[in-house]
Amino acid sequence: MRRLPARYFFKETANNLWQYKTRHLFSLTIICLSFLILGVFLALSNNLAQKARELSGDLNVVFYFQKDAPDSARDALEIRLRNRPEAGPVKSISAEEARDLFLKRYPELADIVRNLKDNPFPPSVEMALAKPDIATAEILRIIDEVKADPAVEDARFNRDWADRITSLSRLARAAGYFLGGILVLASFLIISNVIKLNVLARKSEIELLRLVGGTNTFIRMPFLLEGTAMGIAGSLLSLALVLLVVKLFPIYLGTSLGALQELVGFRYLTLVQALALVAGGATVGFLGSLSSLARFLRV
Amino acid sequence: MIELVGVWVQYHRPQWALSDVSLKIEKGEFCFITGPSGSGKTTLLRTLNREVRPEHGQVLIGGSDILRLPDHKTHILRRAMGIVFQDFRLLFHKRVFDNVAVALRVQGIDGRDLKRRVFIALRMVNMQNRIWDFPSELSYGEQQRVAVARAVVNNPRILLADEPTGNLDAELASDILGLFKEINRQGTTVVICTHDKELIRRFGGRVVELQDGKLKDKGGA
Repeated sequence: MRRLPARYFFKETANNLWQYKTRHLFSLTIICLSFLILGVFLALSNNLAQKARELSGDLNVVFYFQKDAPDSARDALEIRLRNRPEAGPVKSISAEEARDLFLKRYPELADIVRNLKDNPFPPSVEMALAKPDIATAEILRIIDEVKADPAVEDARFNRDWADRITSLSRLARAAGYFLGGILVLASFLIISNVIKLNVLARKSEIELLRLVGGTNTFIRMPFLLEGTAMGIAGSLLSLALVLLVVKLFPIYLGTSLGALQELVGFRYLTLVQALALVAGGATVGFLGSLSSLARFLRV
Repeated sequence: MIELVGVWVQYHRPQWALSDVSLKIEKGEFCFITGPSGSGKTTLLRTLNREVRPEHGQVLIGGSDILRLPDHKTHILRRAMGIVFQDFRLLFHKRVFDNVAVALRVQGIDGRDLKRRVFIALRMVNMQNRIWDFPSELSYGEQQRVAVARAVVNNPRILLADEPTGNLDAELASDILGLFKEINRQGTTVVICTHDKELIRRFGGRVVELQDGKLKDKGGA
């Protein structure tokens, strides 16, 4: 049995794509936009996930003491915490050290602090986590235990932010899947219709191929390749546009968002995500053609 | 070689396009099927390449009943036949070369072998100098020559032609029939549907006449 002439199929596909370029360009645009939406949301979600990871990486619990608490109370807590398996490095900070740290970090506020009669900063003990994935419930249990000491006035644990950003990242990804999914479905229908138009436009050619002994596969192959090529080209184009968004968005935004700038950013897709997007494009194109051929090209 | 046994074909009730047609065409025969419009000539031809499935009867080609052939194997039958149409059915966006090559490409033939066979077929119909032209650049007679080249390029055992001269003037028609005669001399069984009695008289051969889907007469040269 002879092989199918691959070179002929590719040439036919290229010729057909060129012959009906306007309608192919139209469907290419729709595919590209669909995958662009998906890609942009993934890029946004990637950035949020990264921020959440960074935040989780330097998570710590800070225990604030009453201003009149003796140094011995801080030292005792420091020793207690060091012995806990959940604890990483533990540091005791006096009120003076806290004030110096603040002045170092925010020198523009130095005058305000210096004009105050009393030092407003409480002494504290900072406990870093041994591992970033320690359960929140576990940390809260330690906090409750430590807060039982009357010398301890308050405790702050900044995992809330990390959890919120993780949720935001998931939300962005879900929104991307939802919007992208709807548009990918639209792409599927558009490819299906474009292929249907192509089948109708080449009806007499198909009839001829049938009569000279063309098999189903032979007749259908160029149409399937057309759909697949459109899907791949559309998704590759969308990857290039996502890259443009990732590069240009920060320039466009400047510093207008202030502290939020870090969150409302984009991180380019991972290799797996990019490959999945291209594979998705190819699949949508292939299935779109196939559904059209199943309905309109019964050889 | 070709045998129809009690073939009945119906498109719409109550008329029969072919009624109880039994016919035998020997290997290497040159056969005309004639009759007025609507007599069933084209239906008979379409039955031979399994475009039409009869309600009753048998269609034997080379001793095998083609009606028993599963749908997905119809291409095997069609590859053993060449077919020429009244309207040529050329692909106008493809060059002469590709129009002829299509009958080989469907069989997976490519490369040097394909080029050689296309050139031989085009030389046979004296169109080897127009190989890179588009059909729109050719006259009707030349277009039909290309269609004949496409039909014979895979050396078919049977050549079917449905009113192949219907769109041509007398001189061009005679020219094309001459080609069919030449192909027949090389051993191919040729079956031509035509209502052109003058052409039949001039070229001779067996004549099968249809009238209202029935075999009217079986004649010889």
